[in-house]
Amino acid sequence: MADETMMDDLVTLTYEELLPPNTVRFAEALVDGRILGQRCHVCARVYVPPKGYCPLDVVLLDADDDVEVSDRGVVTGFTIVAPVRYYGQTKTEPFVYASVLLDGASGTLGGQDITGVPTDQVHAGMRVRAVWKPKEERTTKGQSARGWGNVEGCISSFEATGEPDVPRAEFEEHVI
Amino acid sequence: MPATDIAIVGWAQTPAVARTDATEPQLCMQANLAAIAMAGIERSDIGFTCAGSCDYLTGGPFAFVQNLDAAGAWPPIAESHVEMDGAWALYEAWVRLQHGDIDVALVFGSGKSSPSDPAELYPQQLDPYYLEPLGLDPASIAALQARALLDTGRATERDFAEVVARSRRDARTNPNAHVRDEDDPERLLAAPYTRNPLRAHDVAPVSDGAAAVVLATARRARQLTEHPVFIRGIDHRVDVHQPGMRDLATSPSTADAARRAGLGDAPVEVAELAAISSPQELIVRDAMGLGDGVAVNPSGGPLGANPVMATGLIRIIEAARRVADGTARRAVAHATNGQALQHNLVCVLEGES
Repeated sequence: MADETMMDDLVTLTYEELLPPNTVRFAEALVDGRILGQRCHVCARVYVPPKGYCPLDVVLLDADDDVEVSDRGVVTGFTIVAPVRYYGQTKTEPFVYASVLLDGASGTLGGQDITGVPTDQVHAGMRVRAVWKPKEERTTKGQSARGWGNVEGCISSFEATGEPDVPRAEFEEHVI
Repeated sequence: MPATDIAIVGWAQTPAVARTDATEPQLCMQANLAAIAMAGIERSDIGFTCAGSCDYLTGGPFAFVQNLDAAGAWPPIAESHVEMDGAWALYEAWVRLQHGDIDVALVFGSGKSSPSDPAELYPQQLDPYYLEPLGLDPASIAALQARALLDTGRATERDFAEVVARSRRDARTNPNAHVRDEDDPERLLAAPYTRNPLRAHDVAPVSDGAAAVVLATARRARQLTEHPVFIRGIDHRVDVHQPGMRDLATSPSTADAARRAGLGDAPVEVAELAAISSPQELIVRDAMGLGDGVAVNPSGGPLGANPVMATGLIRIIEAARRVADGTARRAVAHATNGQALQHNLVCVLEGES
């Protein structure tokens, strides 16, 4: 039998993208302590972050369609992650991964940490507000041309406000 | 069974640029909206949508799904995607229209090459054992092909320079092209080699851009426009992957596709060829049997603008434009995928007979 030869061929692909104008405006507003969305002038849905278009009506949107949304909202769904050790995992304690529907937005921000209450008390319908990092610590970290709506560079978590819960009927269409 | 006549009734392309800050879905939406407007249809008239793009270029798995935003996928639409140039998306839509149950289709192709480095990225399309580890970049493959052509004695480096000079002169009048540099063959020949026997200008740039086409059945096309451009023949053929296992100075798959598309049935006045190096234009010309009277790449071709994954679809658009405006009675468009003309598509277009 012939000798087997193993050959390593590690590949690195590097991408450098310009941020589109809609994402630049979102990132700048975020550093300034404001959350920007874009309202479709056909269906009035508000996209956070701005996409530069409405995918439902297939119309292009621009800076004139930008609107500010609240930094308060409601938890529509969540999971509690109990970290297992794998390469790249830096968390050791259970944490929350929640979807937050901001007041004035038509879609949720995903993957948000919820603080201010023990993890076992987090629930859908809970009112929350953004915990802004001190202004000098805010960055554009996580912003990409894909525009997923990363706020991690400026908002460390969302904390419970203590307001009464929102009835499920008011956010049900956002529950995945 | 003979193919049903399908016509091109609308088209659009975003001006190709070396680097844009628009996202790929934004580029696609610009192109789609303009093509739909030109065709004079509603989005709800579209029975099938097909897109061509490359996730490796975009830099994310399933990146093509977000491009679908540009087609309006809610309420649900019938759509498909090819990890190929948009010309192959057009081929799929042409096949779909043959079924006869729908009469309008939307096709788009898009690519942003600016975020990545072709020398790093393109080896990933090669076989992972022999070629990819060599880091064989597009310019090097183009140079191997150029050398093979020179060795046959059928072309010289001056011929390469003439192709570049003519392409750049034509690109000057094309608002969608972006390479309009030096166009004097003597001065081009004085430039240093980048990959002997090629100079930097012999290889197409890589650009950012998108293009879209609206297809309709003959009956619907005649309702929509006074100048439908009919697809008289379309075919694609493929050669072996390994450049070392074929004669790079010829393109049998192009010749085969051209024959099956009926290119030789009547003369053409215009040919738009997706040649991504100056020697490739000579090879494709030869494979198609195009005579000196044929205007080749009057748009400036890929040497003037090369939005990868839309470049082939744009050849069909540029050929269709010249049939629609009466410049040509009959025209041919060529598209290519893979390295060194591995996979080739030929599309023959005619106006109303």
